[in-house]
Amino acid sequence: MEKELTGKIALVTGGTKGIGKAIADRLSEAGAVVIVAARNHPGDENLKHHFISADITVSGETDNIVGVINKKYGAIDILVNNMGGSNSPSGGFGVLTDEHWDSDLQLNLQSAVRIDRAILPQMVAKKNGVIIHISSVTGTLPVYESLGAYAVAKAALNNYSKSLSKEFSRKGIRVVTVSPGMVKTDTMDAYLQSLADTSGLGIEEVTQNLMSSLGGIPIGRMALPEEIAELVGFLVSPKASYITGVNYIIDGGANPSL
Amino acid sequence: MEKITKELLGKTAMVTGGTKGIGKAIADKLAASGATVVVTARKPSEEKTEHHFIAADLTDSGAIAELTEKLIDRYGTPDILINNVGGTSSPAGGFQMLSDEDWNRDIELNLLASIRLDKAIVSKMVEKKSGAVVHISSLNGKIPLYQSNFSYGVMKSALNAYSKTLANEVAKHGIRVNTVSPGMVRTTAMESFLESYAQSIGKTVAEAAQQIMDGLGGVPMNRLAEPEEIANMVAFLVSDGAGYITGANMLVDGGTYPAV
Repeated sequence: MEKELTGKIALVTGGTKGIGKAIADRLSEAGAVVIVAARNHPGDENLKHHFISADITVSGETDNIVGVINKKYGAIDILVNNMGGSNSPSGGFGVLTDEHWDSDLQLNLQSAVRIDRAILPQMVAKKNGVIIHISSVTGTLPVYESLGAYAVAKAALNNYSKSLSKEFSRKGIRVVTVSPGMVKTDTMDAYLQSLADTSGLGIEEVTQNLMSSLGGIPIGRMALPEEIAELVGFLVSPKASYITGVNYIIDGGANPSL
Repeated sequence: MEKITKELLGKTAMVTGGTKGIGKAIADKLAASGATVVVTARKPSEEKTEHHFIAADLTDSGAIAELTEKLIDRYGTPDILINNVGGTSSPAGGFQMLSDEDWNRDIELNLLASIRLDKAIVSKMVEKKSGAVVHISSLNGKIPLYQSNFSYGVMKSALNAYSKTLANEVAKHGIRVNTVSPGMVRTTAMESFLESYAQSIGKTVAEAAQQIMDGLGGVPMNRLAEPEEIANMVAFLVSDGAGYITGANMLVDGGTYPAV
C-alpha cells in the first residue's frame, strides 16, 4: 500500500463499524492518523484508530470534539462524514411520523452540516482539505418501503455537498459525495432481518425484494465495505487532485439512469 | 519512500490513442502499476517508450479485425481496454457550420471506433468472464457547448449512453464498463483546439480558453487538469479495488459540472 496519506490527520464519523470502520482502516493503511468519532467505544475490540466519543446529532458537541482533536493531533486534513442511517419503521410513507422525519434529517444531513461548519475554518486557513460525504444511491433512486425519509435526507445531503464544493473548491478544499448502493454490513443484515420479521418472508427473499426495488443490481451482489473504502481512499489522496463537486455512485450498476 | 504497489501486475491493457496526451498518461500510469500495456494509434510515438505498439486507424472498420487478431495473438485477451481515442476537427461557429461530413467524422471517431473495438474485444472478455473497459468521454457530453464543439458534445453524450447500456448487459459476465468524463485538460490537442478556435473567433488563445471556461459556467478549481489527473482515475477504475463500480460516469472536472 502506498503511504500517500502520511502526515495527514483524518476524522471519520461513525468510524467504529461497517463502512466507517472500513474507511478508517483504509486511510490508516495509507499512512493517515485516523480519529474515529462515535457515540460508543466498540468495547474490547482491538481498536486501531484513535477514538473520540461524540454524539454529533447533538448541537454543540461537534465544536467540542473538533477542539479536542486539534489540541491532541493537529488540524484536520481529511473529514469523512460517514455517520448516517435510519431508525424509521417500514410500511411506507403513512407510518412516518414527524419524529421519524426529524430523526432522519438530523442524522443524515444536519450532523454533516454541523461537523463541516466546525472544521471548514481550519481547512480554509490551511488552503487545503478534503471533505467526503457518504450518501446513498437512494438519494438519487428513492425507495419508499422504509427508507422514504432517509432517501430524502440523502438527496438533501447531495445538494448540500455540491453547494459546499462550489463555495470552497476555489479555496483549496475538495468536497466529494460518495453514494453506495447496497453494502453488506451488520447494519444491513439487521435491517434485512427487521424487514423479514415485519413481512414474514425469509432473508433471501427480502434481500431480493430490496435489490428489485432498486431495479436490480447488474453485478448481482451487495458491495463489501472495503470496496466503498477503496473509493474513499482514492478520493482523499493526492491522486484525486482534480476531483471535486461530484457524486460518485458505487452501486454495482443499480442506478439505471444515465 | 514506500514502494508503489504493482496492483496491475500480470494484467494486459490496451489503450487506444495511447501515444500522446491523455492516452499516453493513461498508458504510463497503467504500466507504472505493473500492467503490460499495448497502445494503438495510426503512428507510433516519436518518444522512446516501453509500451508495445500496434498501428491501426480505428475510424477504418476494416482495421478492427486485424488489430484484434494481432493483439490477441501476441498478448492474449486484454484484461483492460481503454477507449481513449476521440476528438474533433469540426469547425466552430455553431450548428449551421457543420456539414454531414463533419457529423460523420465525429460519429466515427468518438462513438463507432469504441463500439467496433468493444464488439471485438468484449466478446473475448466474456469468454474469460472478466475484464474492465473504460470509455474516455468528456464533460461536453453532459454540458454541451454549441459555439466551440457542437457535434463533439453530442457524440460524447451518445458514448455515455452506449457505455451505460453495455455495462448493464455484460455485468453478469464479470465485466465492468465505466466512463470517465474529463473537463478541460492541458494537452497539445487542447492547445491546438484552442488555437484554431481562437482564430475562428478572432481572439487570443487565453481569451478563447476563458470563453470556453465561462461557457461551462466557470471552473471552481480555476485551472485545467493535468493528463495524469485523468490517468489516476482510469487506473483506479480498472483496479480490483473498484470491483463494485460499473455503469458509472466519473467526472474529473475540477468541479465544473454545475448540477447535483
